[in-house]
Amino acid sequence: MRAVKEFFDKLAKNETYVKIFKTPFTYLTGAILLSIFQVVTFGVTGEPWGVSGTFANWGAWLYRLVGGNVDRWYYFSSAGAQAVLDRGFFNDPGTMRNLGIIFGALAATLLASQFKIKKIKSKKQVVAAILGGFIMGYGARLAYGCNIGALYSAIASLSLSGWVFALFLFIGAFFGSKLLSKFFM
Amino acid sequence: MAEFTLDCLGEACPVPLMKTEKKMSELAVGDVLIVSIDHSCAMKNIPEWARKQGYNVEIEEVDDGEWEVVIEKTK
Repeated sequence: MRAVKEFFDKLAKNETYVKIFKTPFTYLTGAILLSIFQVVTFGVTGEPWGVSGTFANWGAWLYRLVGGNVDRWYYFSSAGAQAVLDRGFFNDPGTMRNLGIIFGALAATLLASQFKIKKIKSKKQVVAAILGGFIMGYGARLAYGCNIGALYSAIASLSLSGWVFALFLFIGAFFGSKLLSKFFM
Repeated sequence: MAEFTLDCLGEACPVPLMKTEKKMSELAVGDVLIVSIDHSCAMKNIPEWARKQGYNVEIEEVDDGEWEVVIEKTK
Protein backbone atom coordinates (compact mmCIF):
# COMPACT_ATOMS: atom_id res chain seq x y z
CA MET A 1 0.00 0.00 0.00
CA ARG A 2 2.86 2.31 0.88
CA ALA A 3 4.52 1.74 -2.45
CA VAL A 4 1.26 2.54 -4.22
CA LYS A 5 0.89 5.78 -2.29
CA GLU A 6 4.48 6.72 -3.03
CA PHE A 7 3.95 6.00 -6.71
CA PHE A 8 0.91 8.28 -6.91
CA ASP A 9 2.56 11.02 -4.85
CA LYS A 10 5.44 10.95 -7.31
CA LEU A 11 3.12 10.87 -10.30
CA ALA A 12 1.21 13.91 -9.02
CA LYS A 13 4.44 15.90 -9.22
CA ASN A 14 5.55 14.49 -12.57
CA GLU A 15 5.90 17.31 -15.08
CA THR A 16 4.53 15.42 -18.09
CA TYR A 17 1.54 14.12 -16.12
CA VAL A 18 0.71 17.60 -14.83
CA LYS A 19 1.06 19.09 -18.31
CA ILE A 20 -1.11 16.54 -20.12
CA PHE A 21 -3.74 15.50 -17.58
CA LYS A 22 -3.91 18.21 -14.95
CA THR A 23 -3.46 21.62 -16.52
CA PRO A 24 -6.26 22.66 -18.88
CA PHE A 25 -5.27 22.81 -22.53
CA THR A 26 -5.01 26.27 -24.03
CA TYR A 27 -7.86 27.45 -26.24
CA LEU A 28 -5.56 27.08 -29.25
CA THR A 29 -4.71 23.45 -28.47
CA GLY A 30 -8.41 22.73 -27.94
CA ALA A 31 -9.33 24.37 -31.23
CA ILE A 32 -6.74 22.37 -33.17
CA LEU A 33 -7.84 19.07 -31.57
CA LEU A 34 -11.51 19.85 -32.28
CA SER A 35 -10.68 20.63 -35.91
CA ILE A 36 -8.84 17.35 -36.34
CA PHE A 37 -11.54 15.25 -34.68
CA GLN A 38 -14.41 16.88 -36.58
CA VAL A 39 -12.65 15.96 -39.83
CA VAL A 40 -12.18 12.40 -38.52
CA THR A 41 -15.83 12.08 -37.48
CA PHE A 42 -16.96 13.47 -40.84
CA GLY A 43 -14.74 11.02 -42.69
CA VAL A 44 -15.72 8.00 -40.61
CA THR A 45 -19.47 8.54 -40.19
CA GLY A 46 -20.22 10.55 -43.34
CA GLU A 47 -22.06 13.22 -41.38
CA PRO A 48 -20.87 16.45 -39.76
CA TRP A 49 -20.43 16.54 -35.99
CA GLY A 50 -23.63 17.15 -34.04
CA VAL A 51 -24.69 16.56 -30.46
CA SER A 52 -28.25 17.56 -29.59
CA GLY A 53 -30.05 15.76 -32.43
CA THR A 54 -28.87 12.49 -30.96
CA PHE A 55 -30.48 13.32 -27.62
CA ALA A 56 -33.83 13.67 -29.39
CA ASN A 57 -33.28 10.16 -30.78
CA TRP A 58 -32.43 8.91 -27.29
CA GLY A 59 -35.77 10.33 -26.18
CA ALA A 60 -37.54 8.54 -29.03
CA TRP A 61 -35.85 5.22 -28.15
CA LEU A 62 -36.78 5.64 -24.50
CA TYR A 63 -40.36 6.37 -25.51
CA ARG A 64 -40.38 3.23 -27.70
CA LEU A 65 -39.00 1.24 -24.79
CA VAL A 66 -42.07 2.04 -22.71
CA GLY A 67 -44.40 1.20 -25.59
CA GLY A 68 -44.68 4.64 -27.21
CA ASN A 69 -44.59 5.35 -30.93
CA VAL A 70 -43.10 8.43 -32.58
CA ASP A 71 -43.67 7.37 -36.22
CA ARG A 72 -46.37 9.97 -36.70
CA TRP A 73 -44.52 12.82 -35.00
CA TYR A 74 -43.58 15.41 -37.57
CA TYR A 75 -40.01 15.64 -36.31
CA PHE A 76 -39.39 11.90 -36.79
CA SER A 77 -41.61 11.43 -39.85
CA SER A 78 -38.90 11.58 -42.55
CA ALA A 79 -37.56 8.34 -44.01
CA GLY A 80 -34.05 9.30 -42.84
CA ALA A 81 -35.14 9.84 -39.24
CA GLN A 82 -37.08 6.57 -39.26
CA ALA A 83 -34.06 4.71 -40.64
CA VAL A 84 -31.86 6.06 -37.83
CA LEU A 85 -34.41 5.03 -35.21
CA ASP A 86 -34.83 1.57 -36.76
CA ARG A 87 -31.08 0.95 -36.79
CA GLY A 88 -31.19 1.31 -33.04
CA PHE A 89 -29.25 2.85 -30.19
CA PHE A 90 -26.02 0.91 -30.63
CA ASN A 91 -25.81 1.32 -34.42
CA ASP A 92 -25.93 5.09 -34.34
CA PRO A 93 -22.67 7.06 -34.81
CA GLY A 94 -24.18 10.04 -32.96
CA THR A 95 -24.89 7.83 -29.94
CA MET A 96 -21.32 6.56 -29.89
CA ARG A 97 -19.98 10.11 -30.17
CA ASN A 98 -22.14 11.41 -27.33
CA LEU A 99 -21.31 8.43 -25.11
CA GLY A 100 -17.67 9.14 -25.96
CA ILE A 101 -18.05 12.73 -24.78
CA ILE A 102 -19.72 11.69 -21.52
CA PHE A 103 -17.31 8.87 -20.64
CA GLY A 104 -14.35 10.83 -22.01
CA ALA A 105 -15.17 13.73 -19.73
CA LEU A 106 -15.44 11.34 -16.78
CA ALA A 107 -12.11 9.72 -17.69
CA ALA A 108 -10.44 13.13 -18.03
CA THR A 109 -11.62 14.34 -14.63
CA LEU A 110 -10.60 11.03 -13.00
CA LEU A 111 -7.16 11.13 -14.64
CA ALA A 112 -6.68 14.68 -13.40
CA SER A 113 -7.79 13.54 -9.92
CA GLN A 114 -10.44 16.26 -9.95
CA PHE A 115 -13.61 14.19 -9.70
CA LYS A 116 -16.08 15.56 -7.21
CA ILE A 117 -19.79 15.18 -6.64
CA LYS A 118 -20.94 18.72 -6.19
CA LYS A 119 -23.62 19.65 -3.75
CA ILE A 120 -26.70 21.49 -4.90
CA LYS A 121 -26.55 24.90 -3.33
CA SER A 122 -30.10 26.12 -3.72
CA LYS A 123 -33.51 25.27 -5.18
CA LYS A 124 -32.89 28.07 -7.65
CA GLN A 125 -30.10 26.00 -9.23
CA VAL A 126 -32.45 23.04 -9.71
CA VAL A 127 -35.15 25.18 -11.29
CA ALA A 128 -32.62 26.96 -13.52
CA ALA A 129 -31.02 23.68 -14.62
CA ILE A 130 -34.32 22.02 -15.53
CA LEU A 131 -35.76 25.12 -17.17
CA GLY A 132 -32.51 25.95 -18.94
CA GLY A 133 -32.09 22.40 -20.18
CA PHE A 134 -35.63 22.34 -21.51
CA ILE A 135 -35.32 25.67 -23.31
CA MET A 136 -31.91 24.73 -24.78
CA GLY A 137 -33.09 21.34 -25.95
CA TYR A 138 -36.34 22.66 -27.38
CA GLY A 139 -34.58 25.59 -29.05
CA ALA A 140 -31.92 23.34 -30.53
CA ARG A 141 -34.60 21.17 -32.16
CA LEU A 142 -36.41 24.22 -33.55
CA ALA A 143 -33.10 25.47 -34.97
CA TYR A 144 -32.20 21.99 -36.26
CA GLY A 145 -29.00 22.00 -34.28
CA CYS A 146 -27.16 23.30 -31.26
CA ASN A 147 -23.92 25.26 -31.09
CA ILE A 148 -22.18 22.20 -32.52
CA GLY A 149 -24.40 21.05 -35.39
CA ALA A 150 -25.88 24.40 -36.37
CA LEU A 151 -22.90 26.60 -35.55
CA TYR A 152 -19.58 24.75 -35.55
CA SER A 153 -20.31 22.19 -38.26
CA ALA A 154 -22.29 24.67 -40.36
CA ILE A 155 -19.46 27.20 -40.39
CA ALA A 156 -16.94 24.42 -41.05
CA SER A 157 -19.08 23.45 -44.07
CA LEU A 158 -18.99 27.06 -45.31
CA SER A 159 -22.73 27.43 -44.73
CA LEU A 160 -24.12 30.94 -44.20
CA SER A 161 -26.66 29.51 -41.73
CA GLY A 162 -23.88 28.99 -39.20
CA TRP A 163 -23.11 32.71 -39.12
CA VAL A 164 -26.81 33.58 -38.77
CA PHE A 165 -26.97 31.11 -35.87
CA ALA A 166 -23.87 32.77 -34.34
CA LEU A 167 -25.50 36.21 -34.40
CA PHE A 168 -28.59 34.98 -32.56
CA LEU A 169 -26.46 32.90 -30.21
CA PHE A 170 -24.77 36.11 -29.05
CA ILE A 171 -28.12 37.86 -28.63
CA GLY A 172 -29.39 34.91 -26.60
CA ALA A 173 -26.22 34.81 -24.50
CA PHE A 174 -26.56 38.54 -23.80
CA PHE A 175 -30.08 38.17 -22.40
CA GLY A 176 -29.14 34.90 -20.71
CA SER A 177 -26.32 36.56 -18.80
CA LYS A 178 -28.67 39.39 -17.76
CA LEU A 179 -31.07 36.78 -16.32
CA LEU A 180 -28.15 35.00 -14.66
CA SER A 181 -26.95 38.12 -12.86
CA LYS A 182 -30.52 38.96 -11.88
CA PHE A 183 -31.28 35.61 -10.28
CA PHE A 184 -27.89 34.33 -9.10
CA MET A 185 -25.99 37.34 -7.84
CA MET B 1 -4.83 44.33 4.89
CA ALA B 2 -8.02 42.48 5.71
CA GLU B 3 -8.74 38.95 4.48
CA PHE B 4 -12.09 38.02 2.97
CA THR B 5 -13.55 34.72 1.79
CA LEU B 6 -16.04 33.96 -0.93
CA ASP B 7 -17.74 30.56 -1.04
CA CYS B 8 -18.49 29.61 -4.63
CA LEU B 9 -18.59 25.84 -4.07
CA GLY B 10 -21.36 24.28 -6.11
CA GLU B 11 -21.64 27.28 -8.42
CA ALA B 12 -21.19 26.85 -12.15
CA CYS B 13 -19.56 29.29 -14.54
CA PRO B 14 -19.79 32.18 -14.97
CA VAL B 15 -21.32 32.79 -11.51
CA PRO B 16 -18.01 32.43 -9.55
CA LEU B 17 -16.31 34.98 -11.80
CA MET B 18 -19.23 37.42 -11.57
CA LYS B 19 -19.31 37.11 -7.77
CA THR B 20 -15.54 37.57 -7.58
CA GLU B 21 -15.65 40.72 -9.72
CA LYS B 22 -18.36 42.17 -7.50
CA LYS B 23 -16.62 41.29 -4.25
CA MET B 24 -13.24 42.60 -5.44
CA SER B 25 -14.79 45.99 -6.23
CA GLU B 26 -15.85 46.26 -2.57
CA LEU B 27 -12.35 45.52 -1.24
CA ALA B 28 -9.73 48.13 -0.34
CA VAL B 29 -6.23 48.16 -1.79
CA GLY B 30 -4.06 45.64 0.07
CA ASP B 31 -6.98 43.38 0.98
CA VAL B 32 -6.94 39.69 0.09
CA LEU B 33 -9.86 37.63 -1.19
CA ILE B 34 -9.94 33.83 -1.02
CA VAL B 35 -12.43 32.34 -3.46
CA SER B 36 -13.41 28.67 -2.96
CA ILE B 37 -14.39 26.97 -6.22
CA ASP B 38 -15.13 23.44 -7.44
CA HIS B 39 -15.83 24.22 -11.08
CA SER B 40 -12.64 23.74 -13.06
CA CYS B 41 -13.36 26.48 -15.61
CA ALA B 42 -13.49 29.02 -12.79
CA MET B 43 -9.89 28.04 -12.12
CA LYS B 44 -9.11 29.43 -15.56
CA ASN B 45 -11.37 32.47 -15.90
CA ILE B 46 -11.03 33.94 -12.38
CA PRO B 47 -7.18 34.09 -12.39
CA GLU B 48 -7.26 35.28 -16.00
CA TRP B 49 -9.56 38.17 -15.11
CA ALA B 50 -7.66 39.04 -11.92
CA ARG B 51 -4.26 39.05 -13.66
CA LYS B 52 -5.70 41.32 -16.35
CA GLN B 53 -6.64 43.73 -13.55
CA GLY B 54 -3.03 43.58 -12.39
CA TYR B 55 -3.80 41.76 -9.10
CA ASN B 56 -1.58 39.09 -7.57
CA VAL B 57 -3.12 35.65 -7.96
CA GLU B 58 -2.34 32.24 -6.50
CA ILE B 59 -4.22 28.98 -6.99
CA GLU B 60 -4.18 26.24 -4.39
CA GLU B 61 -5.59 22.77 -4.93
CA VAL B 62 -7.16 22.03 -1.55
CA ASP B 63 -8.86 18.72 -2.44
CA ASP B 64 -9.87 16.60 -5.45
CA GLY B 65 -11.70 19.03 -7.70
CA GLU B 66 -11.59 21.84 -5.16
CA TRP B 67 -9.50 24.97 -5.33
CA GLU B 68 -8.86 28.22 -3.53
CA VAL B 69 -8.00 31.23 -5.62
CA VAL B 70 -6.16 33.82 -3.56
CA ILE B 71 -6.35 37.33 -5.00
CA GLU B 72 -4.54 40.33 -3.59
CA LYS B 73 -5.97 43.70 -4.56
CA THR B 74 -2.77 45.52 -5.42
CA LYS B 75 -4.24 48.72 -6.77
